[in-house]
Amino acid sequence: MSGGVNAARFRPSAWGVLKAVVAIIYLFMLFPVFFTGLASISEGTRAAFPPVGFTLAWWREALEPGWTDPILFSLRISAEASLIALVLGTVLAIALTRYTFPGRNVLVMLTLGPLILPTLVLSVGLLQMFAMLGLSDYVGYGGQLTGYVVISLPFCVRMVAIGISNIPRNVERAASVLGASPWMVQRKIVLPLLKNGLLAGFMFAFIQSFTDSSVSLFLARPGDMPVTIRILGFLDTGFSPTIAAVSMITLILPMVMFAIIDRFGQFGDFIHGDKRHA
Amino acid sequence: MTLAAAAQPATLEPRGTDVESRADPAVLAGVQPPATPTSFVAAARTLISVPWLLALAPAALLFFFFLVPTLIMLSLSVVRSEAIGPHGDITLANYVYLLSSPFYVWAVLRTFIIGISTGVLVVAAAFPVAFFLAHTRSRFRGALIALCLTPLLASVVVRTYGWYIILSNYGLFNETLLSVGAIDARIHFVPSTAAIVVGLVHALLPYGILTIMNSLTAINPNVVRAAQSLGATRLSVFVKIIMPLCIPGIVGGFLLAFTGAISAFATAAILGGPKQETIATLINTFMTGVLDWSLSGALGGILIVSTIAVTALGYWFGVGKARI
Repeated sequence: MSGGVNAARFRPSAWGVLKAVVAIIYLFMLFPVFFTGLASISEGTRAAFPPVGFTLAWWREALEPGWTDPILFSLRISAEASLIALVLGTVLAIALTRYTFPGRNVLVMLTLGPLILPTLVLSVGLLQMFAMLGLSDYVGYGGQLTGYVVISLPFCVRMVAIGISNIPRNVERAASVLGASPWMVQRKIVLPLLKNGLLAGFMFAFIQSFTDSSVSLFLARPGDMPVTIRILGFLDTGFSPTIAAVSMITLILPMVMFAIIDRFGQFGDFIHGDKRHA
Repeated sequence: MTLAAAAQPATLEPRGTDVESRADPAVLAGVQPPATPTSFVAAARTLISVPWLLALAPAALLFFFFLVPTLIMLSLSVVRSEAIGPHGDITLANYVYLLSSPFYVWAVLRTFIIGISTGVLVVAAAFPVAFFLAHTRSRFRGALIALCLTPLLASVVVRTYGWYIILSNYGLFNETLLSVGAIDARIHFVPSTAAIVVGLVHALLPYGILTIMNSLTAINPNVVRAAQSLGATRLSVFVKIIMPLCIPGIVGGFLLAFTGAISAFATAAILGGPKQETIATLINTFMTGVLDWSLSGALGGILIVSTIAVTALGYWFGVGKARI
């Protein structure tokens, strides 16, 4: 598994120091989530340590329609955007990995563009474009959906491209030699082998959309408001442990979802793809 | 191989062996294409080829909903800002206005200070973790990688809110320090520029870890073995072999952290407060408060130009180099 040099080659004392440093950085990473969780079940209205008492009142408040509506909106629009981005990203990945054609390099640049340029800028540009075209009525839902598809697309293309490059070309050749039509090769050979790549693409696209607060910053409208923007608006007026409970829900929901998706396929390789050397 | 490795478009290269699929079917069939096709015919042939038919819908999406909006925003930044819509003469007045006011210059400078410190700290904290994860033989390795990625599932708003709980006047740090007796008066950790940096380092750390781990695991162990068999010490292997080979990962991690930090709105707004204006919070003010689309466009233009410049510099400096 571990490429490169292995632990046995390091001086034990140096390795011990490294372990301690890594442990501190992990604590730093998990710190905020832990204390948000703590604040969501403690009785004090501000986060004091040690926590005072235990209550589920904040969670009860977080599960009222005022908060569940934006959470459900976020889940729905993220799922829709991810599916659209996955379909478009798959055909784009096939075109980019399987063919050379005039304009290909321009297309690669265009595909990577949303990754490099700030999402906030895209939000500004989309709002201005919709307004100039007289489509302001569609800003709320349509604007956010298109914005999410655009920011998710590079991730889908990338994951599917990795998936395609893992498929041996000879498998397809064998199928077509044995008389399968090109369409049948795609459907019966490529698509099943591509399953993990597609799942990983969907997963990354969903995370991009669900955790976004930049695209929606200028495009969200009352009634079409994702949970992140709702929390941001709430933080202006004050601090409440209810937000801690809402935050925990928005963290737990995608985790559960991916635990379920993970049962249908493995995309570990897509997250931390080890480049193994023989 | 990772979402963080987005700075390396190499995976998108078509695989070299597929000569047949690339050859013109007309040539394969023994039919010579016309020697000098008119440009119109050539263009038509290009557009109705299989890859362009596949790429048509996603390319149209990127063109109309990524390129066009960005260009509209940039074009609004070079006209006067009297009302919505591009009219009037082309002028750099918006940029001049922003860069001649100390308030806005400070906001821009603060943004870049935040970006650079976040980038440096992300790389400094990500490297030990990446090095550990790349070399450990612990059976918890997979779980540890998953654990450092789980924060990505939480939105920046959620994670920043956690820091607010910890750093605020009545938050964890102040209450703990007061009760222990280490301080007499509450320290105002937030709002401050330092708090923004802490929140951003936390938010962007996973990207740095992934990018650096990627380049560390890509190092061929035989290179290390060769150096050792030739008598290199542990230190010189690290300094002369491992460090140079993972410069692309380090530069990539810095780029991701820097570009993420200079355009971050939520973290700056929650942990920075009204006195710590950055480019992102100013864009928000101009877009929603003042309704000046030209000035927000100009700020967006500054973000775009600096992002592209730093990315290009990073490529030139490191990402393209040191491949074995």
